[in-house]
Amino acid sequence: MTERFAEATGTSLIGGTEQRASRSLASLLLPIAAVGALLALVPLWLGDSRVMMGVAVVGLTFACYAIGFNVIFGSTGQLFLCVGALAGIGGYGAAILADTVGLPVAVSILIATLLASLIGGVLSWVAVRRSLGVIFTGIITLIFALAYENLLLGLGGLTGGESGFSISSGADSFLRRQIPPYYMMLVLVLVFLALHGLLRRSHVGWAFRALRDDELAAELAGVDVARYRVYAAMIGAAMLGLAGAIYAFTEGRISPTTFGFAQVDVVVLVMLAFGGIGTLLGPILGAITFTAIDEVLIELGQLRVLVYGILIIVLFLWIPRGVIPSLQAWLRRRRQT
Amino acid sequence: MIANILDGIVLGLQFGLLAAGLTLVYGLGGVLNLAYGQMAVLSAIATLFAIDAGVPTLPAVGVGLAVGVLLGLIFDQTILRPIYRIQGEARVLLSLLLTLGVAFIVDGYLTWRYPTEGLSIRIGGGPIDILGVPMRRGSIVASVITLLALGALFAFFRGTTLGRAVRSVIEDEEGARLVGIDPRRMLRVILALSGFLAALVAITQSMVRPVTVTAGFGITVFALIVTVVGGLGSVTGAMFAGIILGMVNNIAASYIGTFLSLLILLGAAALTILIRPSGLLGVKE
Repeated sequence: MTERFAEATGTSLIGGTEQRASRSLASLLLPIAAVGALLALVPLWLGDSRVMMGVAVVGLTFACYAIGFNVIFGSTGQLFLCVGALAGIGGYGAAILADTVGLPVAVSILIATLLASLIGGVLSWVAVRRSLGVIFTGIITLIFALAYENLLLGLGGLTGGESGFSISSGADSFLRRQIPPYYMMLVLVLVFLALHGLLRRSHVGWAFRALRDDELAAELAGVDVARYRVYAAMIGAAMLGLAGAIYAFTEGRISPTTFGFAQVDVVVLVMLAFGGIGTLLGPILGAITFTAIDEVLIELGQLRVLVYGILIIVLFLWIPRGVIPSLQAWLRRRRQT
Repeated sequence: MIANILDGIVLGLQFGLLAAGLTLVYGLGGVLNLAYGQMAVLSAIATLFAIDAGVPTLPAVGVGLAVGVLLGLIFDQTILRPIYRIQGEARVLLSLLLTLGVAFIVDGYLTWRYPTEGLSIRIGGGPIDILGVPMRRGSIVASVITLLALGALFAFFRGTTLGRAVRSVIEDEEGARLVGIDPRRMLRVILALSGFLAALVAITQSMVRPVTVTAGFGITVFALIVTVVGGLGSVTGAMFAGIILGMVNNIAASYIGTFLSLLILLGAAALTILIRPSGLLGVKE
């Protein structure tokens, strides 16, 4: 099983199998539209319950995080262990700009998103410049995530510290009602998916794939490794920041645990690994599955962490490439026989 | 100031020992063990349980250390087996993810069993004077144990055949294999040693300040930072980095405040990676 892991992934975990990028635009947008249509029906089913709609919004937010992380890690193999931190910069940034500075909500979200994107770009630029491998990129982004959490608590006057930050701006907007936030997040998910899909099809996507398969060969063929890595990180970080900022306004209250390492990074990693790192729809499948699992396990309280631990181990040993690539491989085998 | 520096050196040596346990496993096996802190916490809990059961302190510490060694061996035989089968960067990545899973299992169980820090491990006594500086007896005992362990560690690596064999594998695995050293066996020795060091540091730490059941992740992160600053795979580097960071931590904590001292520590680690990715005394790969 782990032999499969090694041979399936070469030198990395990334195993995106949808390599026929020459497919038409319709074949790209069709699955996304199908996902959108399916998810658009959820409020018909759960719309009466405020609690369940809240859960659904969190699920879609995590889908956004997983897509953003997928763009960074899945496309270019940069292990960013600061998913929560970048989303938190979006969330806290937008909240502080809107409430404390007094900017309009939309402008605050925009600025916070750009800030997250910039920071993601800088982290990636540094990693590329110093040619840090997967592990060192992981460690330096982890250090950044810890510094961010520490700053959040240290600058309690600005961020509300441990007890969190209540956002008063936009309290009467549609983002605080029961069902509209769900559709807002759904639109975000679909836009991110389409963006990621288009990115994969464009020459940027070709460069990403070349980079992932053989970095040296890609570099020799004239692919500017550094530039594409930084692009991927900036786009992914912007997605994380934007999702974090919008989520903050739908929730109205954020605290360090809203964007904590254990609460966001680990969960996103598990979701993406489950769905399939580097695949287009893997993040969605993972986010839906684990949001559902989390709801089932909610009575277990702290034991949920234990269950997550077991799931991480089982997943990476059993289906290291994730569900979607494994399914595709299975279907291909069936068709051949 | 003197008290701070002395305390910082002791703390730093403990950091160093802690990091040595992590860095050796990485240097030898290419495995980054993120459940390292949990190994430390479990050993400390074993010591506490032994003391509670009426065992005198010294044998109880022995029990804790034995549990640490045992945990290292269990790790070697279970979770690391599938990891050893793959090579290179994929191995580090898989080891990172699987041991993170183990860390979550341990943390999840402990926080469920002992909610809201219901268990803190504390072993030690009152203050005595050294150089006119009042120091707690716990920290004196802790320092002595730390120094002895440090001496033993260096004696092991320089003076014994087994220790030299381990070093030869770190330097050149293929060459070591050619002269008849089994790298897999050396790895087992090193995991036992790693568990021992984790247990030792957790127990000596609990003599100075209480260790909570959720301390595991924090311990791992500290060990990781010291390891990275000292250079992955270098024990001397880990000691060196441990002492520097220990002093920086204590001086910064008393003059600037704990909030900024952690930031300074993180900044120092980030800066080291950026200026010298191989660490202070690390070997270039």
